[in-house]
Amino acid sequence: MTKSREDHNPGRRKFLKGVGIAGAGAAIADHLWTEAEAQEKQGTLSGNVKVTLHVNGSPRDVQVEPRTTLLNALRNHLEPAVTGPKLVCDVGTCGACTVLLDGKPAYSCLVLAVDATNRKITTVEGLGSPESPNAVQAAFVEHDALMCGFCTPGFVTTISAYLKKNPNPTLDEVREACKGNFCRCGTYPRVFEAALAAAKTTAG
Amino acid sequence: MPRVVNGVEQMVEIEVDADAGPGWGPNDKHTLLNHRYTRVDGPLKAAGVARYTYDQRLPGMLYARVLRCPHAHARVTSLDTDAASKIPGVKAIIQAPLTELRFAGAPVAAVSATTPEIAGDALRAIKVQYEVLPHVVHAPAAIRPDAPKVVAEENNLQEKGKNGDQQKAEAAFATADAIVEGEYISQRVHHACLETHGMVVDYRGGDTATIYASTQGTFTIAADAAKELGLTESAVTVSVEHMGGGFGSKFGLGLEGLLACRLSKQTKSPVKLMFTRYDEFVMAGNRSGSWQKLKAGVKKDGTIVALNARQYRLGGLGPGSQAGQPYIYRMGDTYREVYALHTNEDSSIAMRAPGHPQASFAVESLMDELAYKIKMDPVEFRKKNLRDDVYYRQLDRAAKEIGWSRRNPIAGGNAGPLKRGMGCAVGTWGGGGNNQCKVDVTISRDGSVVVAVGTQDLGTGTRTYTRAIVAEELGLGINDVKERIGNSKLGAANPSGGSTTAPSLSPSVKDAAIKARMMMAERVAPLLGNAKPEEIVFAGGKVSAGGQSLSWKQATASLPAAGITSHGEWRADLQARGVHGVCFAEVEVDVETGHVKPIKMVHIQDGGLPLNRLTMESQINGGMIQSLGMALWEGRVMDAQLGMMLNPGFGDYKLPGCLEMPELVPLIDDDDKREAVIGIAEGCIIPAVGALVNAVFNACGVRVRELPVTPDKILMGLSKATQITQI
Repeated sequence: MTKSREDHNPGRRKFLKGVGIAGAGAAIADHLWTEAEAQEKQGTLSGNVKVTLHVNGSPRDVQVEPRTTLLNALRNHLEPAVTGPKLVCDVGTCGACTVLLDGKPAYSCLVLAVDATNRKITTVEGLGSPESPNAVQAAFVEHDALMCGFCTPGFVTTISAYLKKNPNPTLDEVREACKGNFCRCGTYPRVFEAALAAAKTTAG
Repeated sequence: MPRVVNGVEQMVEIEVDADAGPGWGPNDKHTLLNHRYTRVDGPLKAAGVARYTYDQRLPGMLYARVLRCPHAHARVTSLDTDAASKIPGVKAIIQAPLTELRFAGAPVAAVSATTPEIAGDALRAIKVQYEVLPHVVHAPAAIRPDAPKVVAEENNLQEKGKNGDQQKAEAAFATADAIVEGEYISQRVHHACLETHGMVVDYRGGDTATIYASTQGTFTIAADAAKELGLTESAVTVSVEHMGGGFGSKFGLGLEGLLACRLSKQTKSPVKLMFTRYDEFVMAGNRSGSWQKLKAGVKKDGTIVALNARQYRLGGLGPGSQAGQPYIYRMGDTYREVYALHTNEDSSIAMRAPGHPQASFAVESLMDELAYKIKMDPVEFRKKNLRDDVYYRQLDRAAKEIGWSRRNPIAGGNAGPLKRGMGCAVGTWGGGGNNQCKVDVTISRDGSVVVAVGTQDLGTGTRTYTRAIVAEELGLGINDVKERIGNSKLGAANPSGGSTTAPSLSPSVKDAAIKARMMMAERVAPLLGNAKPEEIVFAGGKVSAGGQSLSWKQATASLPAAGITSHGEWRADLQARGVHGVCFAEVEVDVETGHVKPIKMVHIQDGGLPLNRLTMESQINGGMIQSLGMALWEGRVMDAQLGMMLNPGFGDYKLPGCLEMPELVPLIDDDDKREAVIGIAEGCIIPAVGALVNAVFNACGVRVRELPVTPDKILMGLSKATQITQI
């Protein structure tokens, strides 16, 4: 399949340049933009491209259209699929798709897969397992910080990264750290409790 | 005993079979139930490996998207799919089954393709011509005689009933010392389930199909899906392993399922059709709006003598819902008229306690206004006019918890630009069960125990208490039992609506567990000195009688090779109906900006036997938080000219978030001694909106009668108040 750039305008990159990636900051957005622009000049932005994504410690080869978001590449193209990050809004407003890019939280619906090739991608599955959870995952279970669980991967990922940056946060700092994540069932108070409890565990 | 159920006082009698079997026993004598224990699916969800419908990916699966009508009222005159069907990767395009489209967002066509991105391309390439018809989307415009008709030949305004004696009520107003008259308007809010509506239909042309559905009713899909696929109902299996929220909006095959079935049938390939967030806002339903004109008269001693209510249900194309006034209060001579007022918007659908938060908001606002008018404490005023005395203790306990004695009785009376205030409100719900659940408990010779039933867990903790009931009955730990749920090939179960799941399911689980224990007891009796089976004790992982004791594994080793399976049926005596809840809220209003900051909320809820205190508290929190959204931030905004929703995304539709969270105190009313399971999920969302609105009034003296209570309305109110003072 070949398409010219005119009739195959991904659109997302412009949006990406305009608003930046929540949690990752404008610097990275600019960097991604520059990188995407460079690739575009090389004429690689049409049809499927082969990319290697470094997901949870393993290199994973995948064929995607350049417009494919990292989120959709993980969920719809990787074999086997990585479905921990959830597709909820697809426009960077809810945080359910949060992954770590080189340790920093990013909305994977606002990152193109082709722009994530040189990054270390960590999803919620890479932080721990049901049998061997990390401190945040364990605290989420202990404090009932989840109900339907659809927002949980985003919160767990965001908080796990935040506690590395700030191992001893206040309640207000926790609220601030996960303000980019929505929950509908109403788990917030217990999410905060879990984050503070996990901080204590890891500090101890 | 008279109980108030769904706003109506009634005698509730349930026939109870005295020989039905052992009951739950006293609420304080449980080893697992009524304790705090963590969710059994928690580790899977926290690690991101719980598999939801949205996570299904099958070999050869196609992705479907829906084309929506951009007009509020139109007919499709031509649909050209030529260009769209030529896009590589597009596999099927079908027209939606509606001829006249009566709301912006109505489905026009659906597409399946090899990726969701290509399906999106196809939507953009479909050329549709519409005959655009007149529309109306705002209630005050829709009620006018010359308004465009939402449905041809039908009035937009439909009478739905009149109750009471209007003459008598009017006469009673003459005896009142004070009268309050107001129009209370509640907006249309959205369920906003994080997992959107959708299904994966796995039909590959054979005799069977499997449907993975994000649904509140595992057993509400197969019959209609089978018709679409040309199969028998029993050939369709529905799977609901985990689901990402429903709040009343996910029952049946739905349009999403119907379109997915047709697309799957056409290509003989699995099809995944999950609504986008935009779809979810414009065509997956919403909570009915309300417009309530209330007039009440009160005597100086706090006795309400009369109510005149005109209630409009704003359900778009649907009838809407609204509990009847005066809801849970005694108001002397009452008269009410109820209407449905239609607009060109998608039909409202059930949302957590359908009709109740709307009625509660209006009547609790009215109660507050009456209390201030006669200078009576709002708590005492409520006690005087409530029909059910359970609320008295709840009002007292919650008042103490929030520090009601700190409240300034003069509205807006606190000094400074940041003014704090408190309010309260009261709610009721049914929460009884019915006879729909069939549960099997199997104990194997190796000691494993499995409880199986096709029910679904919406995030309410169904999985967890299903396991816990069996574990407690058999004297085991919760991890010694496994559950199988979420599959239509397992025992039947009711759909999760109306807070009926726990009271419908848990009696059947308990019944199966008791029977399994008795079957075990008969088996092991010979090993325990021929003890009488009913005297054998199952506790602490041991089976004991007459001073002798077997470990669980020793006991189960005596079972036949196939193990034993018991079958549980519903028992009316193990459940009840009728719950009470009271909410108090404290807020801070910035009178310079109109900004409302919630400070603290307390909700006390009864519910008979709490199956799990930890998850029950979580549900109460959830009720308060969703109410915060309805009270202060959320609301669909419709454009009158375009007839479309202006805020169909989380960027513009403001959900409660981390930064706005007040201190939340969920209280379980342990003075409720009923040894019965009652659903509480809906009871705990009802009163908080009223409590918050009343707290805003107490804080700044502005009565906002239209939700949500946004800064503009507060500033407008403050400016009026200032003008009056200046005159």
